[in-house]
Amino acid sequence: MRDRAPIATDVIGESRSPTPEVKVRAVARVWACALWGLETALVTVEVDVANGLPAFVVVGLPDAAVQEARERVRAAIRNSGYEFPLRRVTVNLAPAERRKEGTGFDLAIALGILRASGQLAVDVEALCLGELALDGALRPVRGTMPRVRHALARGIAAALLASANAGEAAACGADAYGFGSLREAVDHVAGSARVAPTVAPAPAPPERPAVDLADIAGQETPKRALEIAAAGAHSLLLVGPPGTGKTMLARALPSLLPPLDHDEALAASAVHSVAGLVDPRHPLLRSRPFRAPHHTASPLALVGGGSPPRPGEVSLAHCGVLFLDELAEFSPSVLDTLREPLEERSITISRAGGAATYPARFLLVAAMNPCPCGHLGDPAVECRCLPDAVERYRGRLSGPLLDRIDLRVNVPRVPYERLRDEGRESSATVRGRVLAARERMAARLVGTARRTNAELTVADIRRWCRVDDYGEMLLGAAIRERRLSARGYHRLLRVARTVADLAGSDQIRADDVAVALLMRA
Amino acid sequence: MSAAIAIGPADPRYPPRLLDLAHPPDPLWVRGEIAVPLERAVSIVGTRRATGYGLRVARELAAAAAAAGIVVVSGLAQGIDSAAHEGALERGRTVAVLGQGIAAYLARTNARRRRLAAEIVRAGALIAEYPPDASAKDWTFVRRNATIAALAEVVIVVEAPSDSGALITAAEARRLRRPLYAVPGPIGVAACVGSNALIASGEARALTGAEMLLASLGLASDGAVRRTDGDMGRILDALAASPLDPDALAKRLGLAAPALAQTLARLLISGEVRPCPDGRFARR
Repeated sequence: MRDRAPIATDVIGESRSPTPEVKVRAVARVWACALWGLETALVTVEVDVANGLPAFVVVGLPDAAVQEARERVRAAIRNSGYEFPLRRVTVNLAPAERRKEGTGFDLAIALGILRASGQLAVDVEALCLGELALDGALRPVRGTMPRVRHALARGIAAALLASANAGEAAACGADAYGFGSLREAVDHVAGSARVAPTVAPAPAPPERPAVDLADIAGQETPKRALEIAAAGAHSLLLVGPPGTGKTMLARALPSLLPPLDHDEALAASAVHSVAGLVDPRHPLLRSRPFRAPHHTASPLALVGGGSPPRPGEVSLAHCGVLFLDELAEFSPSVLDTLREPLEERSITISRAGGAATYPARFLLVAAMNPCPCGHLGDPAVECRCLPDAVERYRGRLSGPLLDRIDLRVNVPRVPYERLRDEGRESSATVRGRVLAARERMAARLVGTARRTNAELTVADIRRWCRVDDYGEMLLGAAIRERRLSARGYHRLLRVARTVADLAGSDQIRADDVAVALLMRA
Repeated sequence: MSAAIAIGPADPRYPPRLLDLAHPPDPLWVRGEIAVPLERAVSIVGTRRATGYGLRVARELAAAAAAAGIVVVSGLAQGIDSAAHEGALERGRTVAVLGQGIAAYLARTNARRRRLAAEIVRAGALIAEYPPDASAKDWTFVRRNATIAALAEVVIVVEAPSDSGALITAAEARRLRRPLYAVPGPIGVAACVGSNALIASGEARALTGAEMLLASLGLASDGAVRRTDGDMGRILDALAASPLDPDALAKRLGLAAPALAQTLARLLISGEVRPCPDGRFARR
C-alpha cells in the first residue's frame, strides 16, 4: 500500500504535485478520430510521461499500424529537433474498448508527447490527423472528410492536418490548418509561427457529361428506358450485339440525373475520402460518380472489405451510377454479393474486429451480349451459337439478380441510313422531364427518407399507384397469363408509376402500364 | 418413369414401317405410354442452329399434325427437333428417336430437355436402337436419322444447312420413297441452304403450310387460317419472319410508340407474342 499511494496521486496529478522539486507531470490530451467503415468516433489520445525505465507503450486496442506509430513518432520527434523523453511514455487511445486502425493517430500522439514532456507549452485544442514520416514530415491519411465532419458535430472546429488533407477538411466547413511537417504544426500551436487556415477550395466546375443523348442515333426505346431509369432510379439491363452503343447509352445516364445536392455531395465525397480517392484541389464531388468496374473484379473490389476495410465499387457509386459492362462475364459469386446492397442500399462488412457499414445507394445499369458470340438477332453478322449455349450463357445470371432489375431493353444495331438521323433530343431536354418527375415523387414522399419510385414500399404502392380501369384490365390479364410474382407485380407498378410521373399524370394510365410491361419483358 | 422395354421385329408391337430399312433395329428400346406401331406419323426434322422463323414453323406444323391425331416423330436435339416436340405436346402425341441409349441420354442432357423428355414419355415415347447405357458416337446419329425417316409416312425438313444431319433423314426418306417436304427459307441464310437445295433439286416439295401437310396425309385442315385484323394483325405479320425490337417494329408499321406499346402489351398478355430474353419480341 505504501508503494502505491504516491503513484495514485501522481496519475491525475495535473499540477497538484506535493513537493516543488518533483517535476510537474500532466496527462496531455489531444483529439483524434477513429474510423470503421464510415462510422467515426472521437478518440482522446492521452499521453503520460512518467519516471521509470525508458519505455513507449500504446494501449487502447491499437492495431498493427497504430503500434508501429511508436517507431514513426519516436524518429519524427527526434528528427524534428525535439527530444524524445527517455522515460516511461504511456499512450492511451480512449475509449479503449474499440479497435483503432490506421496511421492517422501519429500526429496526435507526437503532439501529446511533446505536450506531456513540456516541450509544447500550450494544449492542443484541435482535431489532429496525420501520419508522420521518420524525418518529421506530415503525410496525408484516408478518410479525412468523415472524421472532420464528426469532430465538427462534436464542437471541435479546428483541425490540424497534412497539407494535402487540409482542402478536404476545409470543404467540410472546419478551420483547417495544413502543415508539411511536425515542426510546423508545433510552431503553429505554440504560436511562434501561425499558419492561416486553409480556404475551402472552389467547387469543381460542373463536369461536361461524357456522352449526351443527342450523340446517340436511333435507339428510341433504349433512350426511353434510360429516361425512366433516371427518373425513378430503376435498375436497367441493356442487351444487344457488340458495337451497338450499350456502353454509350450507359455513359449518357449521368447527364439525365438531377445534380448532386449538398448532402449527397458530402455523403458521396466521404466515401471517396475513406477510399483515398479525393482530388485535393476539388475535394467535394460535383457530378454524380460513374463507376464501371471490370468484369474480372473480385467480390472484395465490388462490395468492399479487406483489412482495414475499404469501400468497394458499390459504395464509390453511392448517389451515382454503377455500370456493369459484360454482365454475364462477371463471376456468379461476385454478382450474388450485389443482392444485399441492391436491397438494403448499404453494405455491411463483418469481420472479427467489428463491422463496417458503407452506404450504397446506386443506380445499377448493366449491359450484356445476347449470346456468347454476341450476334444473336444481329442483322449484320450471323450468330453461330447453339441454343443450348445461349441458354447456358444467360443462365450465368442468377434469377434473384435478374429479379431485382426493373427494366430490360434490347439495343439493336442501327442501320447506316439512320445513323445520320437529325433532330435528336438532347440530354438537357430529357433531364428537364426527369427533374419534373422527381419533383412529383418528392412531393408524394415528403416526410419520408425515400425519394424515388424505386424505393416505394408496398404500402406506398397501395396508396399512390392507382391505375385506371383499362390499365387494371391489362394488369389483371398480365398476372393471370404471365404468372407475375408478387414481387414482379410491385416492380411493374413502380415502373408504371414513374412512366406516369414523366407524363405528369397522377393516375397510372393503361399506356403507362403497357410501357412498363414491355420493358419488363 | 417406367423402365425401357426391348422389342424385336417379330413382336406385334414393332413398328412395321421400320421393316423397310435394310437393317431394321433389333431390338428397339422403348420407354413411354404410346402403342408403338405408329400407324399415322410424320417426321419433322431440322438444324440445331435454327432461326426464330424455323422454330415457329416447326412448332406450328407439329401442333397442327398432332391436333389431327398424327404422331410427330423427331430426334430430341436442340433447335428444330425440340420445337417440333414442344409443338406436338401442345395438341397431341410425339415420339423422340435418340442416337444413344435412353438412360445415357437422360443422364447427359440438360435440365430443359430432361423435362421435355419426361413430357414425351407421358404423351408418347422415347425410342432408341441402342441399349440404355450406350453412349453417342457420330455413326449412331447417322443410323438414328435414317430410323426417323423410316418411322413416318411423310418427312418434313424445316431448316437445314448444307452439312446438316437432317439431310441424312431426307436422303433416307428418298430411298424409302417416303414423301419428302422442305420448308422454303430466305436466300442467304446459312440455316436454310440445305433445305432450299432439296427443293431446288426436286428431291423435296416445298411445304407452304399446315394445310398442305394435312392434305399430304389425306386429311382436311380443321378450318381457315385464323386472321387477326387491325394493328394486332399487322404486328403479328411483321413478327412472322423473325423477332424484332420495338423500335424496328414501330418504324416498319409506322405506328406511334404509345399505340404500339398498348397493342404489343395486349398481344404479350394473350400469349400470341412472347418476349425474348434479349428484350426483342417474337411470335409464339
